[in-house]
Amino acid sequence: MERERDRGKAETAAGGTAAGKMKSWEEWQPQADGGMDELFAVLGYKVKSSDMAAVANKLDQLEMAMVTTMEDGISHLSTDTIHYNPSDLSGWVESLLTELSSASNFDVLPQQIGVRGESSSNLISFSNDKPIQKNRKVIYDYDLRAIPGGAICSSGNEEENPNHEPDIGIKRHRFSPGTEFLDNTSLAAARPVVLVDSQETGVRLVHTLMACAEAVQRDNMKLADALVKHVGILAVSQVGPMRKVATYFAEALARRIYKIYPHDSLESSYSDVLQMHFYESCPYLKFAHFTANQAILEAFAGANRVHVIDFSLKQGMQWPALMQALALRPGGPPEFRLTGIEPPQPDNTDALLLQQVGWKLAQLAETVGVEFKFRGFVSKSLVDLDASVMDIKPDNVEAVAVNSVFEFHRLLARPGGINKVLNSIKAMNPKIVTIVEQEANHNGIVFLDRFNESLHYYSTMFDSLESSGSNQPNSEDFVMTEVYLGRQICNVVACEGPDRVERHETLSQWRGRMNSAGFDPVPLGSNAFKQASMLLALFAGGDGYRVEENDGSLMLGWHTRPLIATSAWQLKPAE
Amino acid sequence: MKRPLAAVGDINMNKKLKQQEEEMSREAEAVLLHDNLLFEVLKHVDDGRTLASAACVSRQWKRTAQDERLWELICTKHYNSTPLQLRVVVLALGGFRRLYSSHLWPLLRQSSSSSSSSSPSSVSAWPCLPPAPAERPRSKARWGRDEVNLSLSLLSIKYFEKMSFNRGK
Repeated sequence: MERERDRGKAETAAGGTAAGKMKSWEEWQPQADGGMDELFAVLGYKVKSSDMAAVANKLDQLEMAMVTTMEDGISHLSTDTIHYNPSDLSGWVESLLTELSSASNFDVLPQQIGVRGESSSNLISFSNDKPIQKNRKVIYDYDLRAIPGGAICSSGNEEENPNHEPDIGIKRHRFSPGTEFLDNTSLAAARPVVLVDSQETGVRLVHTLMACAEAVQRDNMKLADALVKHVGILAVSQVGPMRKVATYFAEALARRIYKIYPHDSLESSYSDVLQMHFYESCPYLKFAHFTANQAILEAFAGANRVHVIDFSLKQGMQWPALMQALALRPGGPPEFRLTGIEPPQPDNTDALLLQQVGWKLAQLAETVGVEFKFRGFVSKSLVDLDASVMDIKPDNVEAVAVNSVFEFHRLLARPGGINKVLNSIKAMNPKIVTIVEQEANHNGIVFLDRFNESLHYYSTMFDSLESSGSNQPNSEDFVMTEVYLGRQICNVVACEGPDRVERHETLSQWRGRMNSAGFDPVPLGSNAFKQASMLLALFAGGDGYRVEENDGSLMLGWHTRPLIATSAWQLKPAE
Repeated sequence: MKRPLAAVGDINMNKKLKQQEEEMSREAEAVLLHDNLLFEVLKHVDDGRTLASAACVSRQWKRTAQDERLWELICTKHYNSTPLQLRVVVLALGGFRRLYSSHLWPLLRQSSSSSSSSSPSSVSAWPCLPPAPAERPRSKARWGRDEVNLSLSLLSIKYFEKMSFNRGK
């Protein structure tokens, strides 16, 4: 392995380096990793500590060259040069310098130079390259790998990689745990890093994203294509949430431009798992559950038999707390019946999963002393269900609550879907309907509006994640949460028609719908507000989160931007 | 002269005090090293942190201070009438001590530290002194039934999460 070879080299290399500033690097660099500078290794570059002075010199030269050559030196670098082995920083800068110094041949485009034999596993070994002479890694000009995120390139190279799944989330599973962080960033670092002011690039990044979306809106795919690659380059120079958001949006835009849509089966697989990680890493889902449960608990006051119909059972995380509260209510617990609905899984494990969740909830119910019955339904869409299968008991016998967390917006993908479901709900005669939805309008008719809205929404979301995760940024929960959000972004931006299911709408829009469908709002009490506020104190970065009361509904947001809203409804009294 | 007399009187007093002290300490020992009596004493502790510190004194104290009934007293001190099923439910979900340590205590610690951190630390006029221990979270935060209710919910969720996933998942 190359690392071992280099270790030998480093040990025999003369220690002293010329540049004074490099000396301080050397002094505190542990030589444990084969003589490679550890800090650079983290970024995916391999720089021998002994080479540092030389590399620094070259970088200086490069900066001078870029400043003095053409004004927009960046796009030139991306389209016209052959990048040799970018992770070897020294060699790469050398290659850039030679390109810039031969400043005449701009119109020689090294197109059509495919990347031979690049299998998915090679993306892992990207940083373990052989020296330049033997294996020139050439970036194919229209190689979609330009967008950091190997998802697209692999679907393009499908004939070479039959096993590779075009979903970056799954790919991250494949990486061995130790190299996970390193390899993701080395993928990103495969594009040349732009040595300009980072804040300026941040602004340029946002503008480029919006310009690209506008190009897509106007169906100017060539321009959009160029811009989306530019975004890829700019994104690499950023850090933190900005970079991640830009990466996901760039990927989604690229999918839209090249019409490479994610497979439907992959979209629904792992979605439960991803949502669990989302549940653990940030307070939004917990907030949703706690506030909805409070409304349900209050509506069930005095009832001896209760029936909850959950449109979004997932792992059933909402119900332990409700069962515990029912167990401890004055007057004793009611008989509790739960009907859970789940979409089918591609590998047909849905019935088994439902059974498991039901079994676990039954165990818990027994532990806390609540009589419990569970029933699960597997249904592709809520539209296919109706009240008759729910075995609804009359009003005076059993109180019914309907709960939907992040499910209603999916119904907007097909015309008439939401109205049919609302009618079914009315037939179930519920005492209360609790709805939790994202607080954003990602369902506008104009693509550009949707794009801008979602850009703001998910930027705020990622910002809040960043501060919540400040103490453990690479934990599995956070990485998976990012994937979870990334999938939503992909759906909002890249998909259309019935495939575009992430059709979020704002609370006021939902209010309008519910009102015209025959529901009255039920204000969430102060208890819910108190619980929500206390809950936030438990999350790091709790200062940034804000619980807001909005005309009886509760919203949780990051600083001034509400991100999620819980509302409760009841049937309008019959005249 | 007065002085020697007073000195002698003093010495006598000191001796008496010492004897009294020794007696008291022997009595105290008798109480504090006796499980049941120690339990009765610890019943009067109304602060979780104190009770937890008491558990660090010795093995015997640990046994006694970890008694669920003591922690139940602490968790329910704000209830004027405890729900009947509370004890059954909480014991089934992991116990009062776990309720306090895993869920109630982090809640209280957060709320007390956030209130203390909102006031900026003043520059000490005596730079040689170590920083004032104001950063240490105080457990004297005011808390009530709402905090307990939230902790109960979190306890039940944690219990549910920990339930075995080994049914072929």
